[in-house]
Amino acid sequence: MKLTTLFDKGEFVITGEVGPIKGAIHRDKSIEPSCAIEALQLHQHVHAVNVTDNQSAVMRLGSLAASVRLKANGVEPVYQLTCRDRNRLALQSDLLTAYSLGIDNVLLLTGDHIQLGDHKEAKPVFDLDSVQLIDMAKGLKRGYDISGSRIENYLDMAFGAVVNPNSDPIELQLMKMRKKIDAGAQFFQTQAVYDVKLFENFMKKAEKFNCPIQVGFVILKTPQMGKFMNKNVSGIHVPDEWIDEIGSVAKEDQRKKAAEMAGKFIKQVKSMVQGVHIMPLGWTDIVPDILEHADIKPIK
Amino acid sequence: MHATIQKPIGEIVKHIQPGEKVFVVGCNNCAWKCYSGGDDETKMMAKRLTDKGIEVTGYTAPGPKGMSLCKLDHTRKVLMEEHADEVKKADSFLILGCGQGVHTVIDATDGGMVHPGCDTVFGGETVSDTHIEEYCSLCGDCIIEFTGGLCPMTLCAKQLLNGPCGGAENGHCEVDPDRPCGWILIYERLKKLGRLELLDPYQPPKKNSKWSRPRTLEVSPTEATFCSIGGKVTVSNQD
Repeated sequence: MKLTTLFDKGEFVITGEVGPIKGAIHRDKSIEPSCAIEALQLHQHVHAVNVTDNQSAVMRLGSLAASVRLKANGVEPVYQLTCRDRNRLALQSDLLTAYSLGIDNVLLLTGDHIQLGDHKEAKPVFDLDSVQLIDMAKGLKRGYDISGSRIENYLDMAFGAVVNPNSDPIELQLMKMRKKIDAGAQFFQTQAVYDVKLFENFMKKAEKFNCPIQVGFVILKTPQMGKFMNKNVSGIHVPDEWIDEIGSVAKEDQRKKAAEMAGKFIKQVKSMVQGVHIMPLGWTDIVPDILEHADIKPIK
Repeated sequence: MHATIQKPIGEIVKHIQPGEKVFVVGCNNCAWKCYSGGDDETKMMAKRLTDKGIEVTGYTAPGPKGMSLCKLDHTRKVLMEEHADEVKKADSFLILGCGQGVHTVIDATDGGMVHPGCDTVFGGETVSDTHIEEYCSLCGDCIIEFTGGLCPMTLCAKQLLNGPCGGAENGHCEVDPDRPCGWILIYERLKKLGRLELLDPYQPPKKNSKWSRPRTLEVSPTEATFCSIGGKVTVSNQD
């Protein structure tokens, strides 16, 4: 099921996220990889689950294999595809493969740089940027590859893209967002945000594009995690108030508190957006609580 | 200019075989400016090799100052005529210059054995006598008309052509917090120039065939022909 169908129906679209394991899926089909187990936990509470593509440039199981496994388990995947590790041949081939294997949603993005990951001496590819990737994907939907050759059996997937509301100057992000929409992006998931005012300012400027936006949120588990993200994860800023608040409770209460804080934040911004993208980083079990705190009706 | 840095002496010496006689060649243009292969460094290298027990038959950085080692006819004349005896005695050449200079010595000496004495690190702007910065990646498919002259292929770690990724923080690149985000530099410059509209058009994917090595350039006073796997492009400088 394409997420665009839900956006078109006016549904508030909820997505989660899992990261493929660092290793292969077991041949014994009764043994599910942890990413599939997490996705199954999310299943009842979200419309779809993003499957990251060698996230943070750390080598893992391919996002396509994991996406297909999720689909086989009845979980709708959003297959993430980045430009970091593939040239235009590989990107197109992977898109055709994904569609052929039943994938309906793909999130097309640049990808973290090799230097942030565990293979620092690898050659960064970046043959295309994310705008060009979306444009190329649109070509495959219309029956042409990037060289202009006809293809048979066009792909028909929903194309998602990303935008970072935390970026300064925001005008540059908006310029790129506009280019992504012109290229064929049909919905956006934002980088994680924690500042209502900042997000509101961003949305005021992004509204004009009239393209569905899901606000992105990474569950803040501990004060240490907040400090770590501020120091090591570019493009995300966790305000001190958040770090203090999650730090104000005992360790055993942090899950409860994290759900409360996340829910409160999402409740404040949900009217501005068409959906929410929650990145639980393993704490999939608190997603239902977050949605309840945010006053978001269960999807089923 | 081609920025070069000398290889560590231990690495240079490691590749010279016992009893091998070496002639040291510097470059009086780029390598001179990098203090990696001018007159002084070439002379010094001859001494450093001698101190390590290596027989040096001679040395030169073909002059005058500002003369490039990669000017083949000049280098051939200097090596094969002015230093003919020393060159004849040598088993190999240690070149203190860029990779082009190394190949020039191969051509100038009719296929002599060479040892690179430097790593060629990038093509750069000599910002000051002691500081060189990279502003061009020599891709052969220039788009800086749209970016105020600042090259995203060089200044953006991901070589993005349609704007920044989401990783910049406080104006700096996600790859290196000491390095400015190339796209923010481009944006700030065009904003200052009142030309932000230059960023509006979609930039198509690079023609990487123009970047496929090796490439050649045929030049004349009236036209030039650039030849890559992408084909030949001839442009007049007269019309």
